[in-house]
Amino acid sequence: MSSFRATALGITWRTLHNFLGNPALLLPSLVFPLFFFTAFAGGLSTVSHVPGFDFRSGYTAFQFVFVLIQSAAFGGVFTGFGIARDFETGLGRRFMLAARHRSAIVAGYALAAAGRWLFTALVLTVVALVAGMQIDGGGVDLFGLYGLALIMNLAAALWAAGVALRIRSIQGGPLMQIPVFLVLFMAPVYLPLHLLTGWIHVVASVNPATALLAAGRGFISGQPADVALAFLAAAGLALLFSIWARGGMRRAERAG
Amino acid sequence: MTQPEGIEVERLVREFRKGPRAVDGIDLEVAPGEIYGFLGPNGAGKSTTVHMLTTLLPPTSGTARVAGYDVVREGPRVRAHIGAALQEAALDPFLTGAEHMRLQTTMHGLPKAERLERSRELLARVGLTEAADRKVGGYSGGMKRRLDLALALVHRPRILFLDEPTTGLDVQSRTALWDEVARLARDDGVTVFLTTQYLEEADALADRVGIIDHGHLVAEGTPSELKAQIGRPTVEAIPRSPADIERMATVLERFGEPAGAAPKGASVRLRGGESDLAEVVRALDAEGIAVEHLQLHAPSLDDVFLAKTGRSLEGAGAEQPEGSPGTPDDSAAASRSESVAA
Repeated sequence: MSSFRATALGITWRTLHNFLGNPALLLPSLVFPLFFFTAFAGGLSTVSHVPGFDFRSGYTAFQFVFVLIQSAAFGGVFTGFGIARDFETGLGRRFMLAARHRSAIVAGYALAAAGRWLFTALVLTVVALVAGMQIDGGGVDLFGLYGLALIMNLAAALWAAGVALRIRSIQGGPLMQIPVFLVLFMAPVYLPLHLLTGWIHVVASVNPATALLAAGRGFISGQPADVALAFLAAAGLALLFSIWARGGMRRAERAG
Repeated sequence: MTQPEGIEVERLVREFRKGPRAVDGIDLEVAPGEIYGFLGPNGAGKSTTVHMLTTLLPPTSGTARVAGYDVVREGPRVRAHIGAALQEAALDPFLTGAEHMRLQTTMHGLPKAERLERSRELLARVGLTEAADRKVGGYSGGMKRRLDLALALVHRPRILFLDEPTTGLDVQSRTALWDEVARLARDDGVTVFLTTQYLEEADALADRVGIIDHGHLVAEGTPSELKAQIGRPTVEAIPRSPADIERMATVLERFGEPAGAAPKGASVRLRGGESDLAEVVRALDAEGIAVEHLQLHAPSLDDVFLAKTGRSLEGAGAEQPEGSPGTPDDSAAASRSESVAA
């Protein structure tokens, strides 16, 4: 086994092992998306009666896409919390000592973030289907939807890793979370972009998350839209934040 | 080039922003298979040196080669050849001992078939077989240290760094760890770089000792060489009858010059070293002086530290757990000779 792969797999195994074996880590990852889904799709379902709301798969599917992408992004951010905690407690040093290639440490955490999110996504999807969510897209469309969310999960994990490795303390948590929260909620969360007005419309029009939501909702309704733009935006963010995370690792190396 | 299993350090410096030089130009060499004790008080620069040698911290200047590789340019190769147990055994409280071994063996890329066997072997060696399936959150400090040592050894490193491995341990755990470290060097030929603030630890384990203070290496040599630099042992005798004190002092002065106050008896620094002790006993006997108490004080590494830095090794004894080697009960090497201190 290559040393890069060995390090990454070790860290992935340990992170997932703790996630699945520790209710304090597992439950919030499941409860929050389910809460948002229930609150948005259920409590706000009359929004679908607003004139001009023409999403053909219904409001449950409309909100499902947002909650799916949000859970992917926050799954990445929560992994950043774990990195910060590991470096704060000294466990990060153990990893730095064992890793021949230290970028493999970040890769391990990112893989674990993906694993965590896939588990959450599975539960969320089952709950949404039980709640009667309508899916009009085909298999390729759904692959596109989950693939897009997975890239978003990677981008968020790399963003949070970059912050965590620079601050190396759980006190950096808000710094990891707030920008992601703002980006997500300044997108068309409850209504399509064309129904938004005022400053939120202006902000949402240039927010990369808007393209992700538009593409995701296009996939689930079987009417793909903004696909290239969404994948380009997600991949661009992942690339940008991989450079950011690499810089964070260098900062952690310099700090000892 | 350094011998493949040794350590070579030249003018190593580490400066922290807005702080003093934690390590200020140290030079040292550790031969393969040697146990090198790096002795110094808290804040002397011991851990910073270890962090640089283990590639956890880049030096500000100077060079260090570990296992033949430069710690700055060839970090991954250095890490492949070393094991390290740092000052605080950072373990995951949610993992068991066996799971820690699984994590470490995986990260070091041991073949799957070998992982379990190596884990079992090492857990047995450090006496944690029965506790292997317990979460380490419930381990005692000694158990955590022993697990940390086992984790440092999974990939059979040729060089082992131990940063204050016995701080806070009870006597039993400390002795067990000393035995294992000595065995590693003796039987497996592992080079050990051991930092400690305990004089007795360095004395008992190290082939050679480097004394560091304020980032400077102030003395280096075998424990006996260092003690010999400082001076000769002293003998202190107390007569059974207080009336014999003066006669006793006269007899003792034949063997050396007076060494400090000894209110109930006499004390001299032996001119001929430890070998004079038998002559002293014979001379007292020949003079008919009944002896209540006779004690030889060998110079200790603390005397060396005192002589080199002008102060006693900070915290020595005070920070040691009760009953541990080095407490006043252990008269072998613990008591500092007043004649040397003066």
